[in-house]
Amino acid sequence: MNGSFNKEPLREEPMLSVRDLHVRFSTSKGLVHAVRGVSFDLGRERLGIVGESGSGKSQTGRALLRLTAGNGRIEAEKLMFSGMDLMHANARTMRNIRGSRISMIMQDPKYSLNPVLTVGAQIAESCRRHENIPRTEAKKRALSMLDTVHIREPEKVYSLYPHQVSGGMGQRIMIAMMLITNPDVMIADEPTSALDVTVQMQVLSLLDDMVRERGMGLVLISHDLQLVSSFCDRVLVMYGGRIMETLDAKRLDEAQHPYTRGLLNCLPRLDGRHDDLPVLERDPAWLAQPSDASGVFEQ
Amino acid sequence: MIDINDFSITFGSGKNQIQAVKNFNLSVAEGESFGLVGESGSGKSTVLRAMVGIYSHWTGTIRIDGQPIAHKRTPASRKHMQMVFQDPYGSLHPRRTVDATLSEPLIIHGMDKREERVLKILGEVGLGPEYRFRYPHQLSGGQRQRVAIARALILEPRVILLDEPTSALDVSVQAEILNLLSALRKAHGLTYVMVSHDLAVVGHLCSRIAVMNRGVVVEEMSEDQMRTGDLKHEYTRQLWTASHGYDRKALAGFKEIA
Repeated sequence: MNGSFNKEPLREEPMLSVRDLHVRFSTSKGLVHAVRGVSFDLGRERLGIVGESGSGKSQTGRALLRLTAGNGRIEAEKLMFSGMDLMHANARTMRNIRGSRISMIMQDPKYSLNPVLTVGAQIAESCRRHENIPRTEAKKRALSMLDTVHIREPEKVYSLYPHQVSGGMGQRIMIAMMLITNPDVMIADEPTSALDVTVQMQVLSLLDDMVRERGMGLVLISHDLQLVSSFCDRVLVMYGGRIMETLDAKRLDEAQHPYTRGLLNCLPRLDGRHDDLPVLERDPAWLAQPSDASGVFEQ
Repeated sequence: MIDINDFSITFGSGKNQIQAVKNFNLSVAEGESFGLVGESGSGKSTVLRAMVGIYSHWTGTIRIDGQPIAHKRTPASRKHMQMVFQDPYGSLHPRRTVDATLSEPLIIHGMDKREERVLKILGEVGLGPEYRFRYPHQLSGGQRQRVAIARALILEPRVILLDEPTSALDVSVQAEILNLLSALRKAHGLTYVMVSHDLAVVGHLCSRIAVMNRGVVVEEMSEDQMRTGDLKHEYTRQLWTASHGYDRKALAGFKEIA
């Protein structure tokens, strides 16, 4: 790791280290190269990955857990997670890592929760799957987890089915399910996009607590540059499967890459003006530059 | 142009009965663009759906251009008010070409010179004639939303209702669609009513915004208030703060507002 964010060296070895990650899909229309040589390290921090649809941000997140779809191939020079080589781990090792060491929050609780199981049973199951504990103990932990994610009346919510809870509550339940195993790394793929703004903030504050209190590493994948930069410590901006720029989130205004600037400028602002928004111009040359997180874009 | 008085609507019956919108009033002048903001379930889309005739069991009065509209709408009143929906992936028929999608409203309303009108409207929304015989799956999200806007506009309506027209799109595409909408409004003198959960998007397009919560309008915002955040109602203030990004300290003061 070098470049702009190196001024504050990480306190320890990175938990997750990715070098030259490629994801390719073979489709009926030929090979699709979704992620093209992404490199970054994750410590005990909040890392944001921002990009538009098709930028490869979600595929990067999925590749970390080797959850890429069947027609995809992952290649990487290095994909290390606390001393383990994820590239060459067998299916059994991966199963043990998924959920208990690295977990993932999906975008929409409507589709990610099992509709025929009560939410409590699903949380308890995730707990029992990874640790050999009695049912009553699992239920107790699930209830206390529901309380941790600020759900009032956990006893009542425990026996509800997913269709009986609101979107915000469903997302908190997902978070509870993912946190109950106490993972080291959490990958959150658009965890709040389906939620209202105020609920969005509450869900983020929950993730924030987990990073602060448990020393978890968080990868937040989102299309919302403004939101991510106000929440994360560091932001990777992706375009066309490559990392365009790595930013210190507090210095978003100093972003140099024209793509990042373009993304920032085309957002409507609450300033009471109605002028035309600047439209993002894309430059094919951006796709030619090497793609590592080695800092600022050079012109 | 639009006058809504004492509008209420309920869904369900017995103990499941929910009053989705209560005593809603709205007045929009011709050529104005008005925004309705609120969280999911606040009743903002319900108001639009009742105006356009999807729901018919409301009470109160809705006047368009001075004429009260009946619960059962006439073709002429439908023609003057068109709607653009949130999800362009869902609102276009997957097995119809752009041409078929745009011609259908012309056939329904018995309008002549169909080919000419279709080509003209495609040009106006920034799609060339080469898009005329494409199917929705051959278009990007932004292009599909342009087709949906063209479909609303082809009947030469005076009022366009926009239900979250950009929330399914990327920010860069959102900017293009917002620019298109504001250019079309200027060119045709259209009246817009726009619904969104994103305060910044509505604030960009609209000069007046009503904030809804649980079926009632809690506050109306002017341009100045949008800029300064000088707001009276607590809920509006929360919404305004939350729209400015993640702020741990401000969040501690947030409350559930019933």
